[in-house]
Amino acid sequence: MKKIVAITSCSTGIAHTYMAAEALEVAAKEMGYEIKVETQGSIGAENILSAEEIQQADAVVIAASTSVNKDRFTGKKLVEVDVNEAIQNGKKLIEKSLTSPIYKSEGEEDDVNDVKTTSNKSGFQKVYSHLMTGVSYMIPFVVAGGLLIALAFAFGGINAEGEMASSLKKLGDLAMTLMWPALGGYVAFSIASRPGLVPGMVAGLLASQMNAGFLGALLGGFLAGYTINVLKKYIRLPQNFSGLLPVLILPLFSVLITGLIFIYVLGGPITALNDGLTNWLNGLTGINSVLLGLILGGMMAIDLAGPIGKAAYFFGVASLTNLSQGDVSNVMAAVMVSGMVPPLAMAFSSTIIGKNRYTREQREAGKSAWILGFSFISEGAIPFAVADPIRVLASVTVGASISGGLSMLFGSGIAVPHGGFFVFFIPGAVQNVLMYVLALAIGVIISGVLVTLWKKPIDKAKPQNAANAGEAA
Amino acid sequence: MGIQEVLTEELICFDLKSNEKETAIRELADLMQKSKILEDEELYLEAVMKREAEFTTGIGYGVAIPHGKSNVVTKPSIAFGKSKSGISYDSMDGKPVHLIFLIAVPENSNNEHLKILSQLSRKLIHQDIRDSLMKAVTKDEIYEVLKGDE
Repeated sequence: MKKIVAITSCSTGIAHTYMAAEALEVAAKEMGYEIKVETQGSIGAENILSAEEIQQADAVVIAASTSVNKDRFTGKKLVEVDVNEAIQNGKKLIEKSLTSPIYKSEGEEDDVNDVKTTSNKSGFQKVYSHLMTGVSYMIPFVVAGGLLIALAFAFGGINAEGEMASSLKKLGDLAMTLMWPALGGYVAFSIASRPGLVPGMVAGLLASQMNAGFLGALLGGFLAGYTINVLKKYIRLPQNFSGLLPVLILPLFSVLITGLIFIYVLGGPITALNDGLTNWLNGLTGINSVLLGLILGGMMAIDLAGPIGKAAYFFGVASLTNLSQGDVSNVMAAVMVSGMVPPLAMAFSSTIIGKNRYTREQREAGKSAWILGFSFISEGAIPFAVADPIRVLASVTVGASISGGLSMLFGSGIAVPHGGFFVFFIPGAVQNVLMYVLALAIGVIISGVLVTLWKKPIDKAKPQNAANAGEAA
Repeated sequence: MGIQEVLTEELICFDLKSNEKETAIRELADLMQKSKILEDEELYLEAVMKREAEFTTGIGYGVAIPHGKSNVVTKPSIAFGKSKSGISYDSMDGKPVHLIFLIAVPENSNNEHLKILSQLSRKLIHQDIRDSLMKAVTKDEIYEVLKGDE
């Protein structure tokens, strides 16, 4: 006997929900089918379908004029119609459900919508958001791995000797190793949702083994994601086999295609590029490295964690991921210290040296900016930048740039991509930590003083305007 | 608690005068007004017609269930009206309506009452129930047809 499960729901949830349920039950009975109908009315959901019942059902009918969550029905034949349709044509609807296409998971359906909704996003924005997704999933691995390795060295010296130290080192290494699959996998996940994860992760690990680094894992992720999208577009299976697509066809072919392209086409050039970049960074000394620090530092502040800041940040993270283990990155150190300057400088100015130049709300924002700054969250300066963009952004950019340059000059290095002031205290996480703090303090003081001098005390009769800015400049 | 709780005798009309959707609904709402179920008949009717504008509640088979949820409703109620000649109602099947159940629900009503309404709605799907309602000439007969399963 065929088994059907259904959900009915209407906008007021008083009458139609139940009529539709009854109509479906009557129809199923006449057809000799078994049915269970969950009613989502104003009483709340009644006769709720259990996972087991859904599992056993041959088809799903959703008759609703409200939006019903369909997550439970992934992989089931499903028909969705207006609630009135069930009242009118219960039998037809049940027939239809048995020949309906299989409902795909929310993620996959989102993807279909994605094509429509994101088409008004520019290509660059889309690529950027995939990149951000991948990096945001990767960073925690780097944080955990980097800190654990730093601790291992702190306990066991440069060879991480001793049982505890070697255990910590092992954990850190594992976490660090996983950052590549995480990056590749979640870039692909962002592009192609769940099916992207497998080829993306494989590509990420492949990049790591081929020494293609950050760039390799990133491009591997993109390759994997778009491969899935292409496969999904062109592979059409007969209805009865469509269940094989997510469990067999997509994983097999996406890994095969992505992997082979990576090994034979992309891998070589990317590895060369990666090596080149690493050598260039390692070769940077003296004035060149200070220059790099100045530039990256300025970038970190000029749009307060906007696209320019993010670009600088990615550069820092990339430099970090190419390190040999136990090493620290000067570039990442410069990037992080610069990113801390804007909120700290504004906090310094608004809560200590220039209180009369800020409104009460801004002084409050200044207090939280201390915390945000110490946590390396550049966005803490945004409330100030919004109110007075030119003075604030220019001032913090100068200080951040100087901090970045000084950090390079002092040879400070860091093993982790985030954490702000709090990683300063972890032994081994920051190289040359005292000078690093000095670099931070100098940047904060310069920016803080600059913005305080530049801003006028708040004077109700004389609002800040362009003339003031010109005069001060 | 049974159907009498929400469909009191005063709310039953065996011979609706009107042949038009809106005026027929108003006839039934007048009954509710008299029974002090509505604090403001106009506001309630507004809610009903708004619902009606979304999609007709003429569900076919000569049955309509206009309904409104509003805070001017003091207690969940149903008014029932019959029309021999039929009411033009732009039903889903295009046929005139002979049985109208006007439903009034407060914004916050307890589930007991809503359950009664949902049971009534379920019954109306069945041909034999509709036929019996068409034949019924006394209030007791109506109650007999609609009485709950309990």
